[in-house]
Amino acid sequence: MRVLLVEDDQMIAAGVRKALRADGWAVDWVQDGAAALAAADGESYDLMLLDLGLPKRDGIDVLRSLRAKRCKVPVLITTARDAVAERVKGLDAGADDYLIKPFDLDELGARMRALVRRHAGRTDAVIRAGAVTVNPATREVLLDGAGVALSAREFALLDALIARPGAVLSKSQLEEKIYGWGEEIGSNAVEVYIHALRKKLGADFIRNVRGLGYMIPKEA
Amino acid sequence: MRSIRRQMVIWLLAIVLAGVGLAGWMTYRQAQVEANELFDYQLEQTAAALPAESFSSVLGAQDQPDEGVVIQIWRRDGVQLYYSHPRVPLAQTARLGFSTEHTPRGDWRVYSAIVGDNVVQLAQPMSVRNELAAGVAWRTIWPLIVLLPLLGVAIWSVVGRGLRPLGKVTRAVDSRRPDALDPLPDARLPVEVRPLVRALNGLLDRLAHALDTQRAFVADAAHELRSPLAALQIQLQLLERARDAAQRREALDDLKHGVSRATRLVEQLLALARAEPASTALSADVSAKAEPVDLRALVEECVRAYAPLASQRGVDLGVEHAEPVAISGDADALRVMFNNLIDNAVKYTPRGGRIDVAVRTHRDAGDACVEIADSGPGIPPDERERVFDRFYRMPAPDHVAEGCREAGAADVKADTDTDTVINVSGSGLGLAIVQRIATQHGAAVELTDTRDGHGLRVIVRFRLS
Repeated sequence: MRVLLVEDDQMIAAGVRKALRADGWAVDWVQDGAAALAAADGESYDLMLLDLGLPKRDGIDVLRSLRAKRCKVPVLITTARDAVAERVKGLDAGADDYLIKPFDLDELGARMRALVRRHAGRTDAVIRAGAVTVNPATREVLLDGAGVALSAREFALLDALIARPGAVLSKSQLEEKIYGWGEEIGSNAVEVYIHALRKKLGADFIRNVRGLGYMIPKEA
Repeated sequence: MRSIRRQMVIWLLAIVLAGVGLAGWMTYRQAQVEANELFDYQLEQTAAALPAESFSSVLGAQDQPDEGVVIQIWRRDGVQLYYSHPRVPLAQTARLGFSTEHTPRGDWRVYSAIVGDNVVQLAQPMSVRNELAAGVAWRTIWPLIVLLPLLGVAIWSVVGRGLRPLGKVTRAVDSRRPDALDPLPDARLPVEVRPLVRALNGLLDRLAHALDTQRAFVADAAHELRSPLAALQIQLQLLERARDAAQRREALDDLKHGVSRATRLVEQLLALARAEPASTALSADVSAKAEPVDLRALVEECVRAYAPLASQRGVDLGVEHAEPVAISGDADALRVMFNNLIDNAVKYTPRGGRIDVAVRTHRDAGDACVEIADSGPGIPPDERERVFDRFYRMPAPDHVAEGCREAGAADVKADTDTDTVINVSGSGLGLAIVQRIATQHGAAVELTDTRDGHGLRVIVRFRLS
């Protein structure tokens, strides 16, 4: 899952980025409103974390222009503005959730997962495909009820594929899901992770669609 | 406790009493004068009515207890012919006309005249006349004395009535909530109370203004404290989540930076609160703290204090020119101001840059300047007004932002370039503090380009008295 972090406070951004990356998110960070709009234009994100007090363009302003451009990315506002009026304004401008600083990293993670889940049209916190069950909250993966240990990147890849069963994701789309800006991507990293996942979850759990990419088949 | 009402009653009664006493005394004196005239005339007439021919002595007349008028008659040769009251110790001599004699039995009024062949002397005790005068005086003043308690009651109630508006104002002030600072109504108040209420309203107005400033400040501060607190919470949770010693050490390092940033913000907030004009208007005036300050020594001290940090950052910080200048001010506040300016310069000047500090006097213009010129990115002219606003932060300089963007490497170590992070995460208060302290000292802060056009030159201009 790829998230755009819009935050002008460098310390907060550094901390959030570290925490999210450890949870398997690919994090892109921008510090001002103009950069946020440019980034959202150029890439596709599963989620946006938006601070309101931003240099150049205010967060609410960024949100309004995003929605005006029919950009559907789920937006979670993280801000120090705690007045009810501000929260109402933020949600009415098109935000999907509102979190007040200081916040708990666990809560941030839970809300982000909830937003992604809702955006994908799922209500169950646990995703099932065949014999595999994935819990994005606990990052627990079960194969026939038995726990499987995955690395952060392997989990990120599985999470991206299992979020939309039946959808084919290209190698570059998968790379986008698991790497933030500036992160060094190994030349055949995706293949390496797919190989590892197949080894752990069964050879035909992830199908290769020749010339297009990879998918987890929809259950019949 | 001093009571206006009691004081009024006591003083007014005392004055009335003194007045009554004085009136009594004057009546008494007047009555005395009149009684004297009357009785003297009577003595004269009585003397004239006595027989003028010689008569034989009738010494030793019966002793009359009533000593209304004592009569002595002598013949011209000095032989006493008649003495009405032998016990009365009157002198055996006679001076013609009126005289007053002092005897063991009081003063006597004596009239001597020659009637025919005899010398006649009539004497009357003064006490008779004094009693008469005292009687007149007493009859004049007793009604006033009887009225005195009534007067007291009247004064008591009139004063009470006059002071009632004060009671009204007191109740109005008493029943207020502490944050109700709207003015008290001053219509229909007596002219004596109105200035007090006006003065109170003036104070309330100033208080309301000060309170508004403080409220805005506290609201801003509360908002601004959230960011470092948010950072602290995140850093703490990352520390909890650290899986090995290396991660833990790194998380601890970040947490330390977070704590020092929060500490710095709190320190800056306190410095600003101290320099806040509203708070100083309420407490002691700054001028109360004014002392002679050696500007050159103070600036050099600040530069010395920042020299280690500057050299650690690879910035050449030095004093370019320093003239001795003495000004009057609060040395501690001025130190905070120069430290903030030098701190900013060190923060924003890239490695290899240069910061020149100078103290100059312009005798002809009557001012002294402290200049701090850096070779940093400078401040665009349209930002120069806003940077003095509380919590205003300039958009991060581009080279720093790029650095952060690129710091997102897979390796966790790559984004621990905390130096860069600390570099520009100021409190947003530095220049606001500088501005306030300068204003307190009647100084002006100017932001200009450096002489060679690169970087920022801050000039603090003090007026020399």
